Amino acid sequence: MESAFTCEEGWSPVSPRLISARRITLVLCYVLVVAGVVVLFVVPDVPRWVAYAAVGIAAAVLIWMWWLIGRRVRSFGYAERGDDLLVTSGILFRRLVIVPYGRMQLVDVKAGPIDRWLGITTVQLHTAAATTDASIPGLVPEDAVALRDRLARRGEERSAGL
Amino acid sequence: MTDPSGSRIGEDLGLGFLVPAIGDADAEGRRRVHPITPIVHGVTAVPVAALLAFAWGGGLLSTLGLGAFAAGMVVVVVIGSAVTAWSYLAWRNLYYWFDGDGDFRVDSGVITRRQRRLQLSRLQAVDVAQPLFARLFSMAEVTIEVAGSGDSRVRLRYLRLADARALRNEVVARAAGLRPEAGEAPEVSIATVSPRDLAISLAMRTVTAGLLLVTVLLLVATVLSQGWSGLAIALVTGGVPILIVVAEFIRYYRFTVSDSPDGLRLRFGLARTETRTVPPGRVQAIEFVEPWLWRRWGWMRLRVTIAGVGGDDGNSGNRETLLMPVATRDIALTVVHRLMPGLDLDALDWHPAPGRARRRSPIQWSRLAVAWDGLVLAARRGRVTRRLAFVPHARTQSVRVTQGPWERSLDLATVHVDVTPGPVRVVGLHLDALFARQVADAQAERARRARGSDTSIRWAARD
Repeated sequence: MESAFTCEEGWSPVSPRLISARRITLVLCYVLVVAGVVVLFVVPDVPRWVAYAAVGIAAAVLIWMWWLIGRRVRSFGYAERGDDLLVTSGILFRRLVIVPYGRMQLVDVKAGPIDRWLGITTVQLHTAAATTDASIPGLVPEDAVALRDRLARRGEERSAGL
Repeated sequence: MTDPSGSRIGEDLGLGFLVPAIGDADAEGRRRVHPITPIVHGVTAVPVAALLAFAWGGGLLSTLGLGAFAAGMVVVVVIGSAVTAWSYLAWRNLYYWFDGDGDFRVDSGVITRRQRRLQLSRLQAVDVAQPLFARLFSMAEVTIEVAGSGDSRVRLRYLRLADARALRNEVVARAAGLRPEAGEAPEVSIATVSPRDLAISLAMRTVTAGLLLVTVLLLVATVLSQGWSGLAIALVTGGVPILIVVAEFIRYYRFTVSDSPDGLRLRFGLARTETRTVPPGRVQAIEFVEPWLWRRWGWMRLRVTIAGVGGDDGNSGNRETLLMPVATRDIALTVVHRLMPGLDLDALDWHPAPGRARRRSPIQWSRLAVAWDGLVLAARRGRVTRRLAFVPHARTQSVRVTQGPWERSLDLATVHVDVTPGPVRVVGLHLDALFARQVADAQAERARRARGSDTSIRWAARD
C-alpha cells in the first residue's frame, strides 16, 4: 500500500456519463445566475463595471466548477473485497469508507430524471450508523442492479444483529 | 460517592395517598391501567388551565374583582373535568396484555382505535417514571420501547408504582426468555452521586465555569466604571448557565447506578423520578469526558450510545445518553466493566499521532492517539476537555478514513469508526496517513471476526 487511499485490488471507476449529468445540473443552476446578471444590466442605477465584473466572476466560477466536476467524478472509485466494500472519493477532502458486508442493512438503487435520461444510477449502502457515507453514483443500471444483488447476497450470508 | 446503605434505591417518592390495588386481568388475560388515571390527568391539567385562565382573565381581575376570580375558577374546573372525562374514555378503551405468541399487545384509542403489537424480542428499553403529579398518588408510567423507526414505543399511564415495577420486570423477563414469573431482579447498588458532587461538577463544566467567570468580570467592571450597561449582558452570561445548572441538578438529582441481571439500572430526578435500564447488549460505544476543572477531583462524565436511543429522530427528552453525570475513575471503570466485561483500559497500547500533528492541532496533538485490544478500539482527543471513546469491535458498523487539504500537506489522516446514532464519536484524529489506513483495514477485519463470536446480544444467558 503506497498511500492511504489506494487499493491493491484496484478501484472500479464510475461511468464518465456522471460528468455529463453533473455538468447539466451545474448549467441548470446557472440559469439563475444568468438571470441575476441580466438584472444587473437592466437596473439603471448599477454601474456598468459592476455588471461586467459579475459576468467575469460568474464565468470564472463556471469554468472552475466545470473542470472540478470532471476531476471529482474521476476520483470516485469502489472495490469489492472478500469481506467488505470500499468506496473512495474526493480531491480536496478525500475519504475512504470500508463497509463490512455483514453490516449492510439495506442497499438503495436510485436515479433522478437527468440520471435516467443519461442512463446512470446511484447505489447507496446503509448500515445502522447514520454516519456511514457510502454511495456510489454514476453506475450503468445493469451494473448497479448486479452490484446491489451481489451486495445483498453477501450481506445475507454474513449478517449479524446490531 | 458510594451509598453504602443502598436502601433508598427505587423508594417511592410519592406523597403516599394510598391507592387501592385493582382487580386482576379479565377472562382473556387483558389488563387495564389504574382507574384513578383520569383523575391524575385531570389534576395534571389544573395548573395549565389556571395559567390559561389567569393569563386571559388577569386584566379583568382588577376591574371585576371576585367575579373574575370565580369565572377563572369555573374555567379551571371545566377544563379539568373535560380532561378527566376524555381520559376516562381513553382509559375504558385501553387494554394491554401478553398474547399467546409472547408479544405485548396494546389496544387503545377513543375515536381512532389502535391495536399495537410489540415484539418483545426487539425490546430496547422499559422505563418506569414518576411525573410530578402522578407522584401525588404514588402512580407511575411505564414506557416500553422496541427497535424500529418512527413511533416504536408505547406509554402506559398510570399504574401503581408496585404494579409498574412488576410489569417492567415481566416485560424484561419475557424479552430475555425467562419465565414471566421470574420476579424482580435483585439489585446491587454500584454508586450514588451525592448532591454536593453533582452541584460542584455541573458548575465546573468548562463552558459553564467560563461564562460564570465572564459574569463576575462583567459585574466588577460594571461596579468600577459605574456604567451600568454591562449589567444586562451579565444577566445573560450569568443567568443562562445558572438555569442550565439548576435544570440538570433537578434532572440528575440523586443519580444512582445499580447492577441487576437485566442490565445497569439508572435512577435519578428530583421533580420527576426516572428509572432507566441499560442492557449491556445494546451498548454501542462509551465515552469518558473529563473537563479541565474536574481534574483536581479526578472526575469524569460517562456518555453512552445505545442502539435506538439518542438518535436525531423523536424527542430527545426521554432518550437518555448519560451513563453517569459525574464519577471518579474507579467508579467509572466499575460501571463500564459491568457493560463490557473483560475490558482493561489500562493495558491498552496507545499509538499516538506523529509529532508533525502539532502543526495541525497545536493544543491537543499530544493527546491524540488510538489503541485497540481484542475487545475494543479506543481513541482519545482533547486537551482542555479530555475525551476517551471506545467501541467494541462487534459494534463497528463501518470504518472511514478522511483527509483534508491541511492534513494532506502534513501526510496525516483521520480514522472514524461509525456506530449507531448517538452522542459518542470514536475518531482517531490526525494520525500518520498510511497508519490510519492500516488501522481502518485492520478494524474492518476485527469487526468481521468479532461479530462471529459475539455473545453480548444474549447477555442474560451469560454467567
